[in-house]
Amino acid sequence: MNLFEPFTIPYMQRALVEVLVLGALAGAVGVLVVLRRLAFVGDALTHTVFPGVVIAHLLGRSLLLGALAFGVLTAVLLTGLGSHRRVGEDAALAILLTSFFSFGVVLISRTRGFTADLTAFLFGRVLAVDRTDLLQTLAVAAVAAIVLAVLHKELVLRAFDPEATAAMGYRTRALDLVLNLLIALVVVAAVEAVGTVLVIALIVVPAAAARLLADRVAAMTALACLLGAAGGWLGLAVSYEVSVDHDIRLAAGATIVVVLVGLFLLAAALVPLRRRRGRVAGASG
Amino acid sequence: MSPLETFGDGFARRALLEAVMVGGLCGAVGVHVLLRRLPFFTMALGHATFPGVVLAGLLGISLFAGAAAFGAVVVVVVALLGARERVDDTSAVGVTLSGAFALGVLLLSAQAGFSRDLTAYLVGSIVTVQPGDLVTTAVVGAAMLAVLAALHKELVLGAFDRGGLAALGYPVLALDVVLLLVIEATVVTSIPAVGTILAVALIVAPAATARLWTERLRATMALAATLGAISGVVGLAISLQWRVAAGATIVLVAAALFAVSLLVAPRHGLLARRVAYRASGSGPVSASSRA
Repeated sequence: MNLFEPFTIPYMQRALVEVLVLGALAGAVGVLVVLRRLAFVGDALTHTVFPGVVIAHLLGRSLLLGALAFGVLTAVLLTGLGSHRRVGEDAALAILLTSFFSFGVVLISRTRGFTADLTAFLFGRVLAVDRTDLLQTLAVAAVAAIVLAVLHKELVLRAFDPEATAAMGYRTRALDLVLNLLIALVVVAAVEAVGTVLVIALIVVPAAAARLLADRVAAMTALACLLGAAGGWLGLAVSYEVSVDHDIRLAAGATIVVVLVGLFLLAAALVPLRRRRGRVAGASG
Repeated sequence: MSPLETFGDGFARRALLEAVMVGGLCGAVGVHVLLRRLPFFTMALGHATFPGVVLAGLLGISLFAGAAAFGAVVVVVVALLGARERVDDTSAVGVTLSGAFALGVLLLSAQAGFSRDLTAYLVGSIVTVQPGDLVTTAVVGAAMLAVLAALHKELVLGAFDRGGLAALGYPVLALDVVLLLVIEATVVTSIPAVGTILAVALIVAPAATARLWTERLRATMALAATLGAISGVVGLAISLQWRVAAGATIVLVAAALFAVSLLVAPRHGLLARRVAYRASGSGPVSASSRA
């Protein structure tokens, strides 16, 4: 299989840049999601931007702006979602997620021939990314990366020791909002390329794999970025190869996710070796 | 609009029957899902049955069998991954969910006419349920409710006090597996009506609503089942009247019932709490009630 040859075609080049940027960004944000055990919140955000995308589509506005509006709205809602004893945070999250998503489905079901659009929103069209889409993704990714770089120390502290964070005078609620907004930004940046449903894989899977392999947060973050980008690259190459040479159409976004899960399973298989070696070293030391 | 007129046609009557049965089943099972804090897992099951449904469609076998088989695989994978030291349960569910879902999309994308089938799987297509689907729903629903009724005491004890259940000599793990399988069967049964993504809504929302109104468990289950069935009927009527997607409308009705209850329910509603807080004049009620 050739890792470079498909990317001489312009649309494949754009797709490659898109997934490399998204993979790295989602990996970095994903580490915080995994450390905080917020996979469900991430999943909720990927579903709740959906009505924003649909409304933007119906009004003929930029999908990215629609997603951004709903992403910010739900990031705020999720931060304010206190745990009600009789309801529970996970139940509230499930209801919020599905009702926003249903709202999107109801809106789009009013239009004719909606199934094709629905599929595109859910799973993206990474191969149809044009220059404008790419620039928008880069802009959103840059904003997210800057916020992450500036507040990384505080966000990590919040993940490990909320009491100390509060004692040091940081506002934990504000930090939670920042993280939710970061997740929302990743979802927004990725929405046209990989669709709303598969973004959660870009966020959770590379970070979970990195957590298996690395002990330090910095190493974990670097590894998650690397794995995210590598999964994107490999997934695109595989999808192209199989579609063109073997005449079996494989959706590019889904192929990327399957490759990422493959990398995760590889990491899971490698860890026992590493662990055993560590124990031997500890016993001899 | 008169209800009889709306449900006059054969397909509408079948859809109505399906909505009532699925809503009732989901509501009753949902109480157990909430007791054990399994909404995310249920969500994952919904997504994870997806490749099974696609495969079954390709092989021409029963969708139900395909989905059930894959759901069982997912139960095992989540348990295995979650048992690892460095993979917490939430991440294990997240990885399994997205991986399985992508696999389903991949399988389906190799087919022609991909988006229409996909939509039916994802958001349901209750107006096209066949008499055969109705029979499946009725049989599976009755069986699941019978299991829940027979094991009610043990399952509830397991949710609140696993140690106690083990001390009494019950097989704790076997009971866990039974409950997970009941949830799985419920999700799979709801797929024709509301689809893989939205099944979790019909399971969680009526149960969460019922918990706001009553504290007794049997009453909660009865109320949840009723609310589920009502959501199904009202959602279906609205969707037929205004020609919008039925599954999504049913979910929105269930969510609206929850939102209203959250506001006005006695004791646990937000308004009642505010009144109680004012009346007591002591510390904030919400802080003392955190789980």
